[in-house]
Amino acid sequence: MALSWLFGLLVLIAVAGFFAGRSKSVASAGGDARGLHSRPNYYGWHVALNALVPALLLLVLWLLIQPFVLNRAVMPMLSSVDVNDRGTMSLVLSDVRRVAEGIDIAITEGAISPDEARDIQADVMDVRARLAEVGVALGSDVSIETLSAAQRYRALAYTGTSVMTILVLIVSLVGGVIAYRLVRPDFRSRNVVEFGVRMLLLSAASIAILTTVGIVLSLVFNTVEFFRLYPATDFFFGLNWAPSFSGRGGASELGILPLLWGTLYISVVALAVAVPIGLFSAIYLSEYATKRVRSIVKPMIEVLAGIPTIVYGLFALLTVGPVLVSAFGEGGVLGVSWMGGGTAVMTAGLVMGIMLIPFVSSLSDDIINAVPQSMRDGSLGLGATRSETVRQVVLPAALPGIVGAILLAASRAIGETMIVVLGAGAAARLSMNPFDAMTTITAKIVSQLTGDADFSSPEALVAFSLGMTLFVITLGLNVFALWIVRRYREQYE
Amino acid sequence: MDDLRLIERAVDMNETKISANGVQVYYGDNHAIKDVNVEIADKTVTAFIGPSGCGKSTFLRCLNRMNDTISVARVEGDIRIDGEDIYDKRVDPVQLRAKVGMVFQKPNPFPKSIYDNVAYGPKIHGLARNKAELDEIVERALRRAALWNEAKDRLQEPGTGLSGGQQQRLCIARAVATEPEVLLMDEPCSALDPIATAQVEELIDELRQSYSVVIVTHSMQQAARVSQMTAFFHLGNLVEYDETGTIFTNPSDPRTESYISGRIG
Repeated sequence: MALSWLFGLLVLIAVAGFFAGRSKSVASAGGDARGLHSRPNYYGWHVALNALVPALLLLVLWLLIQPFVLNRAVMPMLSSVDVNDRGTMSLVLSDVRRVAEGIDIAITEGAISPDEARDIQADVMDVRARLAEVGVALGSDVSIETLSAAQRYRALAYTGTSVMTILVLIVSLVGGVIAYRLVRPDFRSRNVVEFGVRMLLLSAASIAILTTVGIVLSLVFNTVEFFRLYPATDFFFGLNWAPSFSGRGGASELGILPLLWGTLYISVVALAVAVPIGLFSAIYLSEYATKRVRSIVKPMIEVLAGIPTIVYGLFALLTVGPVLVSAFGEGGVLGVSWMGGGTAVMTAGLVMGIMLIPFVSSLSDDIINAVPQSMRDGSLGLGATRSETVRQVVLPAALPGIVGAILLAASRAIGETMIVVLGAGAAARLSMNPFDAMTTITAKIVSQLTGDADFSSPEALVAFSLGMTLFVITLGLNVFALWIVRRYREQYE
Repeated sequence: MDDLRLIERAVDMNETKISANGVQVYYGDNHAIKDVNVEIADKTVTAFIGPSGCGKSTFLRCLNRMNDTISVARVEGDIRIDGEDIYDKRVDPVQLRAKVGMVFQKPNPFPKSIYDNVAYGPKIHGLARNKAELDEIVERALRRAALWNEAKDRLQEPGTGLSGGQQQRLCIARAVATEPEVLLMDEPCSALDPIATAQVEELIDELRQSYSVVIVTHSMQQAARVSQMTAFFHLGNLVEYDETGTIFTNPSDPRTESYISGRIG
């Protein structure tokens, strides 16, 4: 039975349980719902949830565990593969799965009859060609060993799925019946349903947390793997970034410092653009602008935040870079030849700064607005001008929040990729000249993992430790920013 | 009414400090103040009383043009301080507010140290030539606000760390430090407990020596205790304006009498 059918059946049982539970509750109270502890719908939900939730949990668990069990079961049949060679083993196992699935597809499409499928012999029939006819492409010809493993895999999977279907349905029915029998006027079904709702919300919240943990773990394992192949001191203190993809290995120099320098340099330029402009526009919007102007200008600034960064990257590549070259490049207007090409720290920094303006201005605007009006009144009442009030009372009061906003913008700048790829170039170098091309951690992560990456070489694994470093830096910045913002919030509550 | 000691009240009518003629205030379409005429004397405490929403705070805010900061508010009529029209085009509201200080309903110390709170006004108006002079101004203001003894050892601590009553006295010290000629107080005791209220009231009585004080209050007892002149506002009209003793013992308007005796408001 297909999974969707099973699922549909479960929902049907639940719906039936809902109505059965509801009508039983009303009947048990003698037709008067006021005699019940909870409203009749809660009794219905109680039965439906009991029929659905345990069965679904079993279904999910089974689907997660079955592939592992099946892999273990067919592994001994693949005697030609060394059990300890995990890479090859997983490749062969995925081949087995593909053949098994392919045969299933072929049967449903009628290309092979079930009887035929049961006694396929690799030496008699060209399995690869037959499967290709139904759209299943295999990388190599199917060996006898793989085919027999696939046949065994199919048989086990069939048994497993049948057992699962039956068990899930039994669990669903049993759950529903138990819940149905519990329905009595004094049964507290509302509390049970509320508990269920709480668990549902809790699980939604924990999925986000678990995903974060998963991301961190995947980074950590690969980072540890990288440091086994490449010394950590060379990574953190190396002044050169020169990965070699020759495949011989050992010749690469993977020092993070040039990348970190590029990242920080570009971020600083970006913040130097975004912070004054963003802050001043926030002050204008919250302190000086009339309602009308504010209602037009604020959304327009926030539109900037919605532009995809790749578009900013194109802007850097096609407009800002050439303009800068015409001013600072060889034969430029200013007569200095500081700039070799359109891609430079300055190009990426300026454009990234423009991208960050709405972050700084929108957050600062909220924070400045949160400063109580009584502060402004107090200052104006003493004969201070508006700008004195802003400078000496409003901004100091809002400062912690503004610092938080700037730090959040900084962590955006550090994590930004597309603008850097298009605007800053790909050369990793330690230079003070802001018109030199440089590159960042994020851009190098992309370039290390694109193309034919061998995930056991330090050249590819370095991407994970770069990512980990970036993660730690931005996490630290965010935590610090949130801590500052929270401290500030407490002041006015 | 004996406890109000009305008989002992010395009302020596000084020369007029503020005179308002035909003042109208609109908040958008809402006519908040209707044709108010009032003469406020120098070195006197004048109380504005009346039920909530009667316009007494609005009128108070006209006197130092704080209503300018509200974009929908519109003021008509003639308000003169020392014979000078404060709504004249040549008058800078910033300078006016330095002359007419204001204390607000809720204590609103700046998020700065106690010292900087008091020094704020003198600094922006350049009242002190050097640090020593500024120190002196701060000390004098804190002494006048009866806060010096409590605050002298913690001048560098944040003003927000003081208790509610201390904060309000800090705000009064802040207003006094700029050497205003008129002090406007918008329900300065409504957020304070009885002890702090008593301290602030005592302070108001002392401030009368040098300033014209105008106080808005919800508490009729407070008006009776601290003021020499009382104005009763009702629905945007100035109903009655007279010596405090007269207002509380022998009001001429039936609405004033109803309010005083607790029938309206």
